[in-house]
Amino acid sequence: MSSQVTLPRLGQGMESGTIVRWLKAEGDAVEKGEVLYELDTEKATQEVEADASGTLLKILAQEGEEIDVGTAIAVIGEPGEEYSPPEPEDSGDQEEQPAAVEEPAQQEEAAAPQPEAAKRAENGGRVKASPLARRIARERGIDLASVHGTGPEGRIVAEDVERAEKTAAPAAAPAPPAGEVEVIPLTGIRKAIARRMTEAWEAPVFQIAMSADMTAAIRLREALVARMREGEAKPTYSDILTKLSAAALMRHRAVNALFAGDEIHLLPTANIGIAVAVPNGLVVPVQRSCETKTIQELAEERADLVARARDGKLRQEELEGGTFTISNLGMYGVERFVAVLNPPQAAILAVGAIEERPVVRAGDVVPLPLMELTLTCDHRSIDGATASEFLRTVKQFLEEPGLAL
Amino acid sequence: MPELTYREAVRDAMSEAMRRDEDVFVMGEDIAEMGGSMGVTQGMLDEFGPDRVRNTPISEMAIVGAGIGAAVAGMRPIVEIMYQDFMTLAMEQLVQQAAKHRYMSGGQIKVPLTLRTQGGAGWSPGAQHAQQLEAWFVHVPGIKVVFASTPADARGLLWSSIYDDNPVVFFEHRTLYNLKGDVPDEIEGIEIGKARVHREGEDLTVVATGRMVHEALEAAEEAESEGISVEVVDPRTLLPLDEEAIVGSVKKTNRCVVAHEAVVRMGFGAEIAAVVQHGAFDWLDAPVERVGATFTPIPFAPVMEQYVIPHAEDVLAAVKRTVGKG
Repeated sequence: MSSQVTLPRLGQGMESGTIVRWLKAEGDAVEKGEVLYELDTEKATQEVEADASGTLLKILAQEGEEIDVGTAIAVIGEPGEEYSPPEPEDSGDQEEQPAAVEEPAQQEEAAAPQPEAAKRAENGGRVKASPLARRIARERGIDLASVHGTGPEGRIVAEDVERAEKTAAPAAAPAPPAGEVEVIPLTGIRKAIARRMTEAWEAPVFQIAMSADMTAAIRLREALVARMREGEAKPTYSDILTKLSAAALMRHRAVNALFAGDEIHLLPTANIGIAVAVPNGLVVPVQRSCETKTIQELAEERADLVARARDGKLRQEELEGGTFTISNLGMYGVERFVAVLNPPQAAILAVGAIEERPVVRAGDVVPLPLMELTLTCDHRSIDGATASEFLRTVKQFLEEPGLAL
Repeated sequence: MPELTYREAVRDAMSEAMRRDEDVFVMGEDIAEMGGSMGVTQGMLDEFGPDRVRNTPISEMAIVGAGIGAAVAGMRPIVEIMYQDFMTLAMEQLVQQAAKHRYMSGGQIKVPLTLRTQGGAGWSPGAQHAQQLEAWFVHVPGIKVVFASTPADARGLLWSSIYDDNPVVFFEHRTLYNLKGDVPDEIEGIEIGKARVHREGEDLTVVATGRMVHEALEAAEEAESEGISVEVVDPRTLLPLDEEAIVGSVKKTNRCVVAHEAVVRMGFGAEIAAVVQHGAFDWLDAPVERVGATFTPIPFAPVMEQYVIPHAEDVLAAVKRTVGKG
């Protein structure tokens, strides 16, 4: 009768090993106690002896392959003997396939390391586990299908379930890529981002989007840049957008709002936060009363805030009191995106890049510089129509800035 | 605390009962002048005389039948059957009569008979004088079955058997007669139906009877040196069986090996395995293993006899297989 050679546990904590070299080939005679293969574990490379005498009928585990403890790696028996594939008694309603030595396809299948689930699927879904292991798994909510059994004949025993439970939490996370995992502890700012963004996720949000023809805004910016004095900050599209958004907010006060539990607070001034990327995260300094400031004033203020944000020199009060937020990724070539709400503010505007696009105007296809605006809104504070009217105003102001006066 | 051999402990229980109680007497083949083929009743003829230490003809059926008659008539007879192999000749009396009278008479008749017998391999007595047949008797409702493994248990359990109002088959093991052990100063009965934990352990329970209790203890010592903690439980009485103690032990250790000298197949170990799987199913981390003699008549040739009957190394091998270190 043939016997399976399984990968032995050669020391405490050994879960797997790699066969460095088989010292016998298929068909060779093997004596019990004779060195059969060299095994590499985490701790050492050592020679492993055969635990049965006979002929090495089949090598199931190839050199260099990492194998779990208890996995069948070879079959020893009488020459020409038929042998059972691993876990034959579990074949269930699987097709009858007496595994003759001459059937290479099936043996390769048996040799390949398979996930636990795939192994069980072959076995008609039955999981071999001790009653105690089953009870522990039941009580702790562990799926036995995901547990690797190291008991006799691959049976899952209590120890396996306990080991699986210990490793279950990391296993739920995405598998780490090969190579060393770099662990970055959360800094204060990342913790704050994580906390605030998770909070934001609780808000019932919706998004609406429009594209604005930026022809006039481009002209406006060119004019502003042309009039710039020595040492003044260069006005950007962001500054124009801040100014025009402030004007739109003053006309649509419902959007210039904060959600406060059982109240909605409509604010008298447009204090606009601008999302600024900094080396270890993101900050949103606030420009106050933007509706009262010129674009050039906003540009000066914005340049100062961004510079100090990157140096980590913003004061706490400069990060507070916002009523609306603009996040602009246009400079990165982003065409459109959805920003995450900045609670308790009612809305945040996500701004994409200005791109020349073919647009139909009076029956002709014409190239126009378009910019996409995506507004994320807190549905607890505002509704779709309100949000749409506001966004339409922003679009109109961008297309004809004079209307904002 | 006095030290007695197992043989002396059995004799002490009988003699003390006979000193205290006129209703108690012993009879059997060659038990008077010869003192029994195993020397258990030596000296009793001198103390109690031929009326109370009675030799009988060589007819097991007649001996047991006479014992049943005396018991029904109000005596507390102790009948010795020289070898348990010869109990097969007395089965009708024991199974059909002794076991049934109390039930069939609606409790009007009691049969306070103690039937002592001995057996076991290990000294080359041959196929007809070496068997362990306890499984034959635990299958019969209406009798009690005791199998003591130490001098203290032998004395205390025999005392309780003599004073039990039901027929009790009391097994002694031939190779234990010279085993010495402490016994209480005064004879105290040991409750029939209570197991004894000989050794506490965490990883596995060995349920062993008779000689195998000592083999199991030896295996447990060896296992301990290999980091396996073995609990050894001796049921002491096979019927009634202390299921609570056995199941309780397995619930603690999660694994069980049963060891007896009788053949494994259809043996008493099968009953233990059934009790354990039912009572501790959700606590079992491995199949229950059984250790016993191979399914063959006991050979006369000493080497072959040793090969057939179980030893400490067989228990140890089963222990290791069960904990997954085999």
